Amino acid sequence: MESASDSRLQAGSASLGQGTREPGPLARQERLAYAILLPVLGTIFVVVTYPLLFAVDQSLRATRGGDFVGLRNYTTALENPLLYEALAATGIYAGIVLPAEILGGLGLALLVHRTVRSARIRMAVYVLATLPIVIPPVAVGVIARLIYAPGYGVLNHLLMLAGLVQAEIPWLSRRETAMLAVASVDVWQWTPFVYLVCFAGLQTVPRESIDAAQVDGATRWTLFSRIELPYLRPLLLLVLFWRLADVLRVFDHIFILTGGGPGATTQLLSVYLYRVAFKFFDTGEAAALAVLVMLAMSLLYATATRLLPLERD
Amino acid sequence: MKRWVGWSVLTVVAVLALVALLPSWVPVSAQGAKPAKLVIAAVAGNESLGLKAVAPTYERESGIKLDIVEMPYPTLYEKLVTTFQAGAATYDLIMLDDPWMPKFGTEEWLTPLDSTYGFKRDPDIPGVIYDVGTWPPPRGPVPPSEKSKPKHLLGITVVGNVEMFMYRKDLSPAPKSWDEVLANAKKLNKPGSMAGYVVRGAATNPIVADFLPILWSFGGDVFDASWNVVIDSPASLRAVKFLVNDLKSVAPSGAENIDAADRSRLMAIGQAYQSTVWPGEVTGIVENPKVSKTIGKVGYIPMPAGPSGKGYGMMGNWLLAIPKASKNGRAGADFIVWVTSPKVQKAYAEAGGIPSRTSILTDTAMNDKNPYFAALAKSLDAVPNWRPRTDQWNAVETILGTNLNAALAGLATPEDATKKAATEIRALMKKAGY
Amino acid sequence: MPRRRPAQLWHLVAVPVLGAVGLVYAFPLYWLLVTALKGEGELYRVTPSLYPLEPTLDAFSSVLVTRGFLGLLENSILVCGATVVIALTIGFAVAYPITRLKVSRRLRLGVLNWALSLRFLPPVAVVVPYFAIVRGLGLYDHPLALILIYTVFNLPFAIWMLKGFLAEIPSEIEEAAFVDGASRWMAFCRVLLPLAAPGILASGVIIFAFAWSEFLFALILTASPRAQTFPVGVQGLVTQFQIIWNDMAAAGALAIAVPLGLMVLARRYVLAGLTFGVIRGQ
Repeated sequence: MESASDSRLQAGSASLGQGTREPGPLARQERLAYAILLPVLGTIFVVVTYPLLFAVDQSLRATRGGDFVGLRNYTTALENPLLYEALAATGIYAGIVLPAEILGGLGLALLVHRTVRSARIRMAVYVLATLPIVIPPVAVGVIARLIYAPGYGVLNHLLMLAGLVQAEIPWLSRRETAMLAVASVDVWQWTPFVYLVCFAGLQTVPRESIDAAQVDGATRWTLFSRIELPYLRPLLLLVLFWRLADVLRVFDHIFILTGGGPGATTQLLSVYLYRVAFKFFDTGEAAALAVLVMLAMSLLYATATRLLPLERD
Repeated sequence: MKRWVGWSVLTVVAVLALVALLPSWVPVSAQGAKPAKLVIAAVAGNESLGLKAVAPTYERESGIKLDIVEMPYPTLYEKLVTTFQAGAATYDLIMLDDPWMPKFGTEEWLTPLDSTYGFKRDPDIPGVIYDVGTWPPPRGPVPPSEKSKPKHLLGITVVGNVEMFMYRKDLSPAPKSWDEVLANAKKLNKPGSMAGYVVRGAATNPIVADFLPILWSFGGDVFDASWNVVIDSPASLRAVKFLVNDLKSVAPSGAENIDAADRSRLMAIGQAYQSTVWPGEVTGIVENPKVSKTIGKVGYIPMPAGPSGKGYGMMGNWLLAIPKASKNGRAGADFIVWVTSPKVQKAYAEAGGIPSRTSILTDTAMNDKNPYFAALAKSLDAVPNWRPRTDQWNAVETILGTNLNAALAGLATPEDATKKAATEIRALMKKAGY
Repeated sequence: MPRRRPAQLWHLVAVPVLGAVGLVYAFPLYWLLVTALKGEGELYRVTPSLYPLEPTLDAFSSVLVTRGFLGLLENSILVCGATVVIALTIGFAVAYPITRLKVSRRLRLGVLNWALSLRFLPPVAVVVPYFAIVRGLGLYDHPLALILIYTVFNLPFAIWMLKGFLAEIPSEIEEAAFVDGASRWMAFCRVLLPLAAPGILASGVIIFAFAWSEFLFALILTASPRAQTFPVGVQGLVTQFQIIWNDMAAAGALAIAVPLGLMVLARRYVLAGLTFGVIRGQ
């Protein structure tokens, strides 16, 4: 991560040092920019890289005693089947959450864009959609407890009132329902975010293109796939990666709702790491896992940026 | 341009200076002087009721304010370990569950109360209470690394918890064995309105606490006298099957998520017939006139016997101890003496706290008000078992609890779950040097 | 003629769908509030009632006063406020050069790249070494530790948002100021800052909300009400040894009310910032 952008920084400065064709104000602006940026970015670089180095050091030492043990912590970490169960659980979670949020957000954006004409209602919906994003995940976890918990959870009560079920469904006790429960919290909180991005994107589609297409007798589907989708594609990609990054880090509401259970069904990667570091207090293995995760994320990020449009010029 | 460089450098320097200087601005009280307040790390729940009730009295009498920081059970353990590892003087006193004593004792994070503050055994307090607060343990297997250490008293019990059994005495006589428990449960179980037996099945600590007395009464155990893992022995497996098959069949749905307060609430609203219980739940929920609908209908007895003919109660004392890093050790020790004195223990018990003095537990007047006292006194007399005295217990409990919970939820057969737990625990103990 | 029907179909679908969506979002929040207004006795009913039979503010006073969460509230406000100030300052120090000054595209992309990459880092992986570092610095259970870490983690977002807002301001305005004889610093203060104020406000509100929600670092790096933040307190009420769901709901409701209130107040400015500054909102 840091190394990728840092080398770009160095590459940029190298090319500038040699090839600036226009001396004077432009070169001065460059130097001014670097004068401001370098100390700031330098400090941040140190603040961010030092923990990484620290973690690497910690991962090469034994938990008891602190002797240098080479890669032993890495092998124990990678040999633990619970790690792979955690990765699988994270994969399943992502597989449920990402399509649901993106399709749901896009669908809702299309729906509102197509049917709601009143600017006031559109604005109101827009504002309402920004609200779930700022709700602390801890609080959403609390809300989810009040909905899914056995005995006092309101969902079962509502289902029984409506006559849809006869007995309580133990949401948090069964593998599939527990995963759905934690996934539902994520979908609830973040679909509005996808909605916002898609809705804003839809509004930038030029009116002329839409009118022209409709005059040509385009169906709603063609309107969407030929005209609107190209405008939305870069946004959707950006949103996909943003949410993917978030899903890989998710922790708070799972911690509150299931703590990783039943068994280890909802023990996603972050929850597993937490368990190794702060329940078992195995600092060596935890540090090794941390380094592995950071490396994996860097790789994932590097691949992601190949496909991402970071700037529209 | 030079100005810009200057400004940015200045900012960086200022930030670094702030970082370096700020910690030293925090005032440090002189060692030995009377502190303005004592910070006590406590567990969030009924166990802290008594402590919070007597705190104002202490503040009045001593002039020292008590800052009781409450945390949920798992968080408290993790917080204490991280604080001790950080060597921080955040807490002056801590409440610890007795299974944590091996870890805290092995790592030498607590100040010995006998050698540093002159604590001596009081005959009014059962000997087992002092035993549970001593490290290395005076009975049972001792971890290999601790065998040569001298024994010290590291904590004094402030919540005299021993796990007991509760049942609706208006519906049937007291069960004498676990088989009778099951038979009665099957008779009275009505899904949706009355659970025959409530399994406290939430993963890690809860389900293990509920299960160990059953395990022992069936003749099984987690470790033998030489720290070999025996959780997969035939006797242990029979106990596991009893829990996840037999008792599960008469338990309410969602047992895999039920914890202490949940099952007591079920008893309090008349939807449960039997369960194990900790005294803290009794005062806080089942016998709480503000919320309970079954006051006077619940009986309390020591643990029923197993096929072996013997019933095993389990200790779950909460002890008060003084961290080595604390700067107010003397004041902390004074508080411990104060709160365990007979006069304060009476007020403490009246406020819902769990006392450990025999004189209070056998007092007739108090017994009328607290129906569980008799069972508690009897359980303490019978010298209840305690959890294996290994510093790895928290990890063992997590492994065992996760696998038991999986078996209870039907995600694994009892055999597979037991085997998995045994393998994982063996690997853990080997890594820890046992 | 055939084009009318699809439009009506959409409208037919829209109302129930939007209604259902609205319910899905409104009900959980309603339930949270309702539970927070229940008294202890109501929690022992066999089936929960859908509205408080005897509404009371007991849970709120229990949380804020008896449990002392007012102090946690203060800690949270202090930590989040400081984070916003520092993050915006440093964010400006980075966003200004890359938008106002002629720098190579590579540099600009490099900085934005790094900004996005931090988002991929699971905090729990970083908390392990950070714990040891905080310990070494003697900052365990001190608000400063949280301020520093929150700043680092919110910096990418600050840079993204400020970049978006700054890029919107045409450089001609600043150049006009230069022509009038102003120095770069004066142009910055007198011309740029006022124009960027809505963007700064929006960024500040969002960073405050994100810092407010942070839980993991606060959980690990604090140990007492000296430094604990509000989310840690909320989690502390999720206990299995007591029936205090009303207190838990009250704490949750308060945790939501603060950032929600800020967002509603600053809504106009926030919308543009949330779409990464790539799309300028209407």
